[in-house]
Order: sequence, then structure tokens, then C-alpha cells
Amino acid sequence: MKTVSSLLDDHWYERYKRISKLNIRSSIYDVTDRCNLRCKGCFFFSSGEHQAAAEEKDITRWHAFVESEMARGVNLAILIGGEPTLCLDRIEAFYRRLPTFCATNGQIKVPRERFPDLMVGISLWGDAEDEKILRGKDTFRISSANYAGDPNAYYLYTITPKQLGKTETIIRKIKDVGLKVHVQLLSNDEGVDGFSWRPEELAAVREEMDAMLDCYPETMISSKYYHRIITTGEMGGRKFGWMECPSVTSALDRRESRPRRLTNFIRWASDLKTMHRCCTSETRACSTCKDGAAHMSWVMVNKRAHMNSTVDLQNWVEVYEMFAKLYRFIPW
Amino acid sequence: MSADINQTITRIAEIIIDELKLEDVSPATFDPDLDLVDEVGIDSMDLATIALVIRDEFGIRIDEDDYPKLTTIRIIAEYVADKRSGGE
Repeated sequence: MKTVSSLLDDHWYERYKRISKLNIRSSIYDVTDRCNLRCKGCFFFSSGEHQAAAEEKDITRWHAFVESEMARGVNLAILIGGEPTLCLDRIEAFYRRLPTFCATNGQIKVPRERFPDLMVGISLWGDAEDEKILRGKDTFRISSANYAGDPNAYYLYTITPKQLGKTETIIRKIKDVGLKVHVQLLSNDEGVDGFSWRPEELAAVREEMDAMLDCYPETMISSKYYHRIITTGEMGGRKFGWMECPSVTSALDRRESRPRRLTNFIRWASDLKTMHRCCTSETRACSTCKDGAAHMSWVMVNKRAHMNSTVDLQNWVEVYEMFAKLYRFIPW
Repeated sequence: MSADINQTITRIAEIIIDELKLEDVSPATFDPDLDLVDEVGIDSMDLATIALVIRDEFGIRIDEDDYPKLTTIRIIAEYVADKRSGGE
């Protein structure tokens, strides 16, 4: 029988043991159905999720809800949808009780005196030109001023096909404001012309992401295996899609093949009652979904499928470490 | 008691080998003190699957909160024996 220690040397085995018992149980929460931007390709609005449920406005219910989520075993709250920083009291309901990550467009600064170590992920959809086309403004100018040097914030850089050959400029800008960056790929849910990926572009962006990781290892939180997974949609000969996705809401998961999945994962709407199908848009085609977290989770829940060789298991360790760093279960 | 525990260890080893489709190991060669997470690489979903089979086979319920401490086959066997004798 292949064991972990028979595949990994002492250095890698120690890295494995650092993460093997973290037992991360995440769920995702829409904090509000409003946003201060309207981005083309934002799945929350393009799929009508902002109209799926009327947000709960009674803050006492948010507090009670978080308690019930903790009782359900959740130990990582991922706050998204529409723009969480419009409702700081709701963020606080989570933050007071459990590790909390807040995805934001960065246009409103989270007050650090109130949320000293709240994990903040700032969305960025390319360079200023792309951002103006897709989001109506250059968000980086404001978000970088709000969060420069913040040790608990990083950029979630969504690379678009138009960014090929330009990513270094963005990554250097992020480095220069003292922040780190995690990369993912635009899924282009609204089919904006010129922003859908072609196979040769996916191959090229993989090479570019790998090169950036080599050049900026202290700035980029990533791994080459992750790059391979999100650009090919393949893992060990299996194709990513509905029958493989680990990030389907558990209570709505009727898949008879019972694929490996996140334990007890739910994506909640902001009425605190409605559940969304999965971590991203219900209208998105799963076979072309580029969601970075879903692909990371896909790797993470398939650990033993990576116990065939030393390299496979090292790849798994790197992806798990990346996830654990992004949500601060281990240091950068 | 010792014979009972050894039987339980063997049966749990069989369950784990079957459920996880482990290769190159048999109930007789499976070290009952091998760390299931740190060495075999099982995760909480695997444990949930194993727990269901154990529930059906031994008529006991394994609390999800107990998963983290069920780190070896021997510990699981002792947990099963304890539950079956009415202990907590």
C-alpha cells in the first residue's frame, strides 16, 4: 500500500502534516443583493441571483444565523454577493465568531479598527482598459489606495483573454502597493465579445501564469498544478463539470454518482433561507466554468487520487497549501 | 475482550480496504496503528463513508465531532467496542 510517507520526503511530509488535519468546512454567504458596481460578467447579476431572494435586514437574525451555521460545523465563512462592504454589521456577525473571508471590489475600505484581521480579497478584472469595459471604471486606482500594504488583504486577479502578454504589468503594480495576488480566469457568463477563451489562449495563459509565479513567488499565491487544472479543466484524465464539481450545495445535491465534494457546503442567499445551487452561477455551463475556488476544491477533495506518485501528491499539497494560505489557515 | 477487539480490528480493516479500494494491503497486513490521515491519506468524506458502513455493521452511530480523534484502526475498534458496551 502506498502511504504518504513512502511518497514524500521529510520536507514534503512535514508540509503535508501541516495541512492534513485542518478539516476546513467552508460555506458561502451572499451578504446583500446590492452592489456599488455593475460588472459585465458578474454571475451574481447576470444570472439574476440578486432577485432570487430579498435580503434579511434584521441584524439579530444574521447573528442567530451565524450561530446556527457554526453548529452545522462551518469553520470558514466566505462572504460574497453583491458587495459585502455595503453591510458592515452583517460582516461583523460572521467576523466576531469564526474565520471570515470577505470578497470585495475594494471601493469601500473595510475599517481596520473594527475588523483588524478580516481576510479581504479584492477583485480585479484586468488592466484599466478591461476594467472600464467590464466594470465601468478602473477599480484598481481606488482599491489599491484603500488597501496598500494591508497584511490581511490580497487581490483576486481575474485574467481575461485580452490580458495575454500583459499580466506582468498588473502583478508588478500589485507588488508595488505591497499586496499579494491570486489569479483565476474570467468565465465570461454574459458572453462579452472578445472575452471568451479559445484553446490556444488557455495554453498561452497557463505558460504566462507559470512564468509569473517563477518571477514573483513572494507576490503570487498560486501553483503550477492549479494553473494546469484551470486552463485544461482536467485532472487525472477526468473532465471538470457538473458530475465532478465539489462545490454544489449539499442540500440540493441529487447526483446519484455521489462525486467527492465539500462536506456540508451550502451557498446561502442573503435572505438566509434560500440556497443557491453551487458556489457560482446557476446559469453557468459547468463544463466551461473557470471558477478558481471550485477547481481548487476539486483537487483538494480528491487527495487519494493524487497518491499515485510523489509528483502527484506534491501537486495536491501545493494546491491545498494555496487554499489554506488564501483563507489564512496557514501563513503566506 | 482481546479476541473481540482483534476481530473488530480485522473487520474494520476489511471495511476500509473495500470502501477506499486500497491496493497491496490485506486485513492481515494492515497495521492497526497506522495513522489513517497522515499515512493512508483518508479525509473526512472517506471517514463519513466508513462511518456509515460501521453503523450498519455494528449498530452504532459515530458522531461527526468524533471523526478527528479516530486516527487509527485500533482507535476506531476501541471506539466501536466502547459504544457497543454502552459507554460514551
